[in-house]
Amino acid sequence: MSCLVAFGIAGALWLAAAIAAIAGSRSRAGLRPCAALSAAGGAAAVAGGIATLLTGDTRLISPGGTEVVGSLQLQGSSLAAIFAALLGIVAVAIGFYLPRYHQKLSAGTAVYLCAYNLALIASLAVLAAGGVVTFLVAWESMALLCYLLILRNPRSRPVAAGAFWFLALSEVGFVLIVAAFAIVAVKTQSLQFAVIAARIHRVPADWRDAAYLLALCGFGFKAGLVPLHVWLPAAHPVAPADGSAFLSGLIVKLGVYGIALFAFRLIPEGPAWRGILTMGIGAVTAAVGILYALAERDIKRFLAFSTVENIGIIVTAFGAAMTFLAYGQRALWAFLLLAGLYHALNHGCYKTLLFLEAGVTEHAAGTRDMDRLGGLARRMPRAGVIAFVGTLGIAALPPLNGFVSEWLIFQGLFQGFRTHSHLVGILIVLAAATLGLTGGLAIYAFVRSYGIPYLGMPRTRQAALATERAQPVVGPALLAVVCVALAVGAPVLLVAMARAIRTVTGIGLRPILLPGKLTVIPAHTDFSGFSPTYLTVFLLAVLVVPALIYRAGRVRGRSTTVPVWDGGIVAFKPRMQYSAMTFSAPTRVTFAAFYRPAVSVERASDDPAGRSGPVHYETAAAPVFERYLYQPVIRAVEWLADMVRPLQSGDVNLYLLYVFVAVLVAYLVAAV
Amino acid sequence: MTAPDATQPSAADEIAAATALSRRVTALFGRSLHIRTLDTGSCAACEQEIRLLAAPHYDLHRLGFFFTPAPRHADLLLVTGPMLRAFSLAARKTYVAMPEPKLVVATGACALGGVYQPDAFSYGSVDQVLPVDVWIPGCPPSPLALLHGLMVAVDRLAARVGSVSFTADGE
Amino acid sequence: MPQWFVTGLRRGVVTTRYPARREPAADDLPTPPAFRPEWLSQDRALRLAEVCPSSALAVADGELVFDVGKCTACGRCHQAVPEAVTASGEFELATGRRQDLVKRIPILPSSAS
Repeated sequence: MSCLVAFGIAGALWLAAAIAAIAGSRSRAGLRPCAALSAAGGAAAVAGGIATLLTGDTRLISPGGTEVVGSLQLQGSSLAAIFAALLGIVAVAIGFYLPRYHQKLSAGTAVYLCAYNLALIASLAVLAAGGVVTFLVAWESMALLCYLLILRNPRSRPVAAGAFWFLALSEVGFVLIVAAFAIVAVKTQSLQFAVIAARIHRVPADWRDAAYLLALCGFGFKAGLVPLHVWLPAAHPVAPADGSAFLSGLIVKLGVYGIALFAFRLIPEGPAWRGILTMGIGAVTAAVGILYALAERDIKRFLAFSTVENIGIIVTAFGAAMTFLAYGQRALWAFLLLAGLYHALNHGCYKTLLFLEAGVTEHAAGTRDMDRLGGLARRMPRAGVIAFVGTLGIAALPPLNGFVSEWLIFQGLFQGFRTHSHLVGILIVLAAATLGLTGGLAIYAFVRSYGIPYLGMPRTRQAALATERAQPVVGPALLAVVCVALAVGAPVLLVAMARAIRTVTGIGLRPILLPGKLTVIPAHTDFSGFSPTYLTVFLLAVLVVPALIYRAGRVRGRSTTVPVWDGGIVAFKPRMQYSAMTFSAPTRVTFAAFYRPAVSVERASDDPAGRSGPVHYETAAAPVFERYLYQPVIRAVEWLADMVRPLQSGDVNLYLLYVFVAVLVAYLVAAV
Repeated sequence: MTAPDATQPSAADEIAAATALSRRVTALFGRSLHIRTLDTGSCAACEQEIRLLAAPHYDLHRLGFFFTPAPRHADLLLVTGPMLRAFSLAARKTYVAMPEPKLVVATGACALGGVYQPDAFSYGSVDQVLPVDVWIPGCPPSPLALLHGLMVAVDRLAARVGSVSFTADGE
Repeated sequence: MPQWFVTGLRRGVVTTRYPARREPAADDLPTPPAFRPEWLSQDRALRLAEVCPSSALAVADGELVFDVGKCTACGRCHQAVPEAVTASGEFELATGRRQDLVKRIPILPSSAS
């Protein structure tokens, strides 16, 4: 009960923040109350989430009425608690980030901040919804408010296009979600999630599977599963940095929450093909996401594709969990759910951090293009360090949290042999191999995304003049601290989450996590184990101890400092460095069949004597999904609309004819 | 001029210390020497002969000499060519990048000042830019002459050309 | 690989023993000239200084100044004044003192020829 109180406080604070945004929009000082209220609301949401984790599901409350359609039904569920905590963390970080980022007030800032805070309330309502109607209403308002969020500067064409893609795909997904909920609600004769979950076993298997597939597609639009992901790279670059951070950090996680809701709470039991299909979609999403990410120069489009990749990893974990349940491996079912949720939490933290830092970079250097940046870590040391922590996390390098969560997922997948089915075991191994490929490409991609803009020499004058004075730093720094804490304190956090998992799945993972030894064990004690805390300590020791030994034991003598040996060249020039596209060229060449690049080369003349002029070289990955999936569908819909348009001729006489024919038909049908 | 201080080392002591250090250094170099070649604009005939040093017929490895591409690892800089002005910055950078103690050996008639006079494009000889320790004449010097020169550089052989008069009846 | 091994066994060790032993192949090397002072008149010395393409020969203070370091062993001096010039046979020319490479050969006084 206390968690709903905390959520209520959070909602009230965010409402106050929205009002403050409108009221204080004239002056810069007006942003501070809004930001402070927003951050306070975030803290309340975190408190509520942690409270639910520790105490378990709450009762359903219906403030304002009995169980009729249209009343508000709220319940703090353990599954949603993790996402609520993430929502709180993201809100706090963005709250600290807002005042400095939006310094240059423009006409749309007030509306934007109001929409943002209301979207926070809507997201919290989605997570706290205990009934179908509440969920759907909250979902749709969240989508519309996010549309307003993205559409901050509607005069520009890419902004309008990006926002439109977001809304269009969101609505298509919404239709499917409504269908899925309609099936389960009608078949179980109830609108409350707890009751639906209790009665779902009475529903015939076909209807259950159909509902799950509709939910997978519907929520997949929001989460960003391939091929339903095309709104992500369109919408993320055009929104302001904190808006993109909110989208990637939280909104896509709401899609993941929806999938988890159907897969683990509402319709947990199902045939194995359900899990294998989900796992396959997740693996393909991960691989496609990171491959497209490697072809991007725009930092925000790159991060959007990286989000697609991570969602793929989470959904793969969920799919594998469902497969294990179908083969009776309940411990692994619970464990992979835990691993997937933990990865969602981690990804929310460091993706938000990276998007906020991308915003700082954009304001400091004036561009989002990696090939126009360089040397930022020297000009902006704090931003460099914070972005480095985020990059380490998302590239899944020890000792940070991304490494821990991916390790957990891999260890769960590696136990595919416990299904005792050769085919399924091979499929799970294939999924693990795809995730391995994704992980390798991710490290490659994030070396590029940190090395090209932050290291080396500035490639343009703007980058050389970048400064982090007056740039937001507290918000991203807070997230960096949270990332490290999530890594070092992973055993503690996983124990708390295991309690939540027990509420959802009925499986107690706690004895298998060995918290006393700070070691995490993947579901079965006879497989493997690893301690993130000890790993951190060990890595620190490996770095620090040799340095100390060297300092103590080195020979004190005269030493001379000479310049670095550079091969004797006159001077380094920025153009001698790797560019973002040449760094990723090996991948683009290897996977050319996937990218299908369109290459165009223009030179002044083909005559050998005339070849000394400039050459124009352009290459672009083919937009496969837009061209072969969406454009045909759009064209079909437009054709259908053209077919139907003659009905609306505007001629009153024709309409009277319609009315007459309809009444006649109704009469005849009733009579017969 | 101040009176000599009893605690300061005298000039003779310093010379003795320097000689002892130099002998220790050359004793070390005599056992294992890493050579970095530097072409400051030669016709590459000297480079051909230097390459032959690593071939089985002359085999400089049996004497403890090795080639290295990295100046940081090099003890001896083997310079050919008339020191083109365009290259002088790179030559100085290479020399500076070598750690002490180091030796510079100029080899070939170009590097010693012959063939090309100083003009707008070249300094004419290597010692205009780098401090040379040993000179090896020849055009190109044969691998045997190069081996002799390297042994002179590390004090394993004594230079004898000083006592040769280059007159027909004096030989 | 076996072919190489057999060839190697037949040929034996081909590495020179230089500098421990004398290397007979060194006798074929082109070497800087040696001069016969009894044949060096003033005109001949001037002719030698004029003909050297490497500026290794010069006339100063009644002496022929020969810079061994600048010599390329091209043989033009021998071609120009064969009686005064012959091959020296010296190839071990390295030194740590540059001035050791500058040789002064006396020119005959102008009365004798």
